[in-house]
Amino acid sequence: MKFDLDDIYIEDTCRESALTKRIVARADIPVHFVEDGRVAARPRLDAVDSFAAGKRRLVIMRRRSPFLMACPAGSAKFACCGYLVLTLASNCPMDCSYCFLQEYVADNPGFQIYANYDDAFAELDKLIASTPARHFRVGTGELADSLAMDSLTGLSIELVNFFAARENLTLELKTKTDEIDNLLAVDPKGKVLVSWTLSPRRVFEACEHRTAPPSARIEAAKRVLESGYRVAFHLDPMIAYPDAERDYLALMDELFSAISPAKISFLSMGGLRMTAGLRAAARRRFPKDAMLLGEDVLAEDGRYRTFAPMRIRLYKILADKFKAAGAAVPSYLCMETASVHERVFGAPPSHPAAAGERLATIR
Amino acid sequence: MMRDETTAANIRACAESRHLDDAHTEKWLAMLTPSRLALLDYAERLKLRTGQLAAAIDLLDEIEVREGIAPAQILARDDLRRICTNNGSTPWRAAAFIEALRKIRFPRLQIAIDRLESEIAALRLPASIAVVLPKDLGSDELMIRISVRTGDELEKALEVLAEKKPALMRMVKMIGGDDTE
Repeated sequence: MKFDLDDIYIEDTCRESALTKRIVARADIPVHFVEDGRVAARPRLDAVDSFAAGKRRLVIMRRRSPFLMACPAGSAKFACCGYLVLTLASNCPMDCSYCFLQEYVADNPGFQIYANYDDAFAELDKLIASTPARHFRVGTGELADSLAMDSLTGLSIELVNFFAARENLTLELKTKTDEIDNLLAVDPKGKVLVSWTLSPRRVFEACEHRTAPPSARIEAAKRVLESGYRVAFHLDPMIAYPDAERDYLALMDELFSAISPAKISFLSMGGLRMTAGLRAAARRRFPKDAMLLGEDVLAEDGRYRTFAPMRIRLYKILADKFKAAGAAVPSYLCMETASVHERVFGAPPSHPAAAGERLATIR
Repeated sequence: MMRDETTAANIRACAESRHLDDAHTEKWLAMLTPSRLALLDYAERLKLRTGQLAAAIDLLDEIEVREGIAPAQILARDDLRRICTNNGSTPWRAAAFIEALRKIRFPRLQIAIDRLESEIAALRLPASIAVVLPKDLGSDELMIRISVRTGDELEKALEVLAEKKPALMRMVKMIGGDDTE
């Protein structure tokens, strides 16, 4: 997949970095040098849609804050999968109407890629040295798609090689693309999970602009699986539109007919949830998208969610499908309470650290 | 269909008299003539207050996107027209109008609430016990409230609850997604 960019802004301190040189050599677009990349990442006041404009402005810069952090979706209120986030980039060239980045990076929408990612590797080594008995699942797909710009950055190769050489780390590359060529060239040694967000075709067509079609994502998953990667899928966000039950079940049939359930490391589910700010931003940018207008009500956590019985029913139907798939596929819920978890899976959620460990080591 | 600019002044006057914010006023003005006129008619007849008018504009917009039905068609429905002409007070009719729009906007939520409320009614609980649904079924928590002043009253309330346990358990399951269709 190729995404259009208008300009590249390079922070002065990153001029000589290997990443900068790779990107400049591969992208045939105007390059500008700036003293501080953060300024280039700010919203353009003259843009009609500054978030969309930010997606087309690549900023290669130094990351000032730590690369590694706990998943921002985690909270004491929710069951948690113990996921650690490695932020190598911020924003995404795709444009899903429901995406939380519309609110989360509204003040710095420039598409940032961090050239000092060696520091991220140092942070990871420090982590495993400090807790050698634990196993961590670390993902790069929270504030950006893990693979969308990989043909430009080549970062996946370095990441896979780094994780392949470390016993108690598992990398999760999360994507909505079929950009897997670099992955096929390296041996993950069983230490890398590639996961896809999956949605029924109707959601893809209505909401997931510039992403790969669901069937292409499944096909890409098949290919990386054959190359020694583990695969996982996220049904997140699940949107409870009128035919959702039928369509999500059909999507699972398509998935399980392409990939044996026994070979899927895990499946996660999470209903569409939007803060009032995200809802307003999404509606402003996609006023005709009916998927943003489900039967969503204000939930206890201050987010708009499909009203509880309907949302939980959809989870249960899918959880039953996973169980009936021949090999029970490990699964979890994202940003749901322990009671919802128990209603869906019949058991309370594990402690986040235990869940993280389990998901990191599942084959 | 052309927009009739002659109605714009009336709409602006109505919006201004209610201190309606610019965003909602513009959204109203962006409706096609039959729709914006129909809403003006309701706003004036029901004396919709600022919040009600803003809610009506949002709900009509959302119903249009969801169902592909223009506000004029929605506002022409018999159940909505009847609200304008029934015998209740104007504030009551205004509130009923907004509630009716919400039912159109959230059809399956309404069905789920109706079913749960009819289950609660069928319990025929004494006044000392109340089963309270979460607002808009926004969570899976069912609240059962017991209000007593004496030991005897508590004893009786607990006996009733024990007797109603199967029905209450069914409600707990319903609110957790079982049998909601």
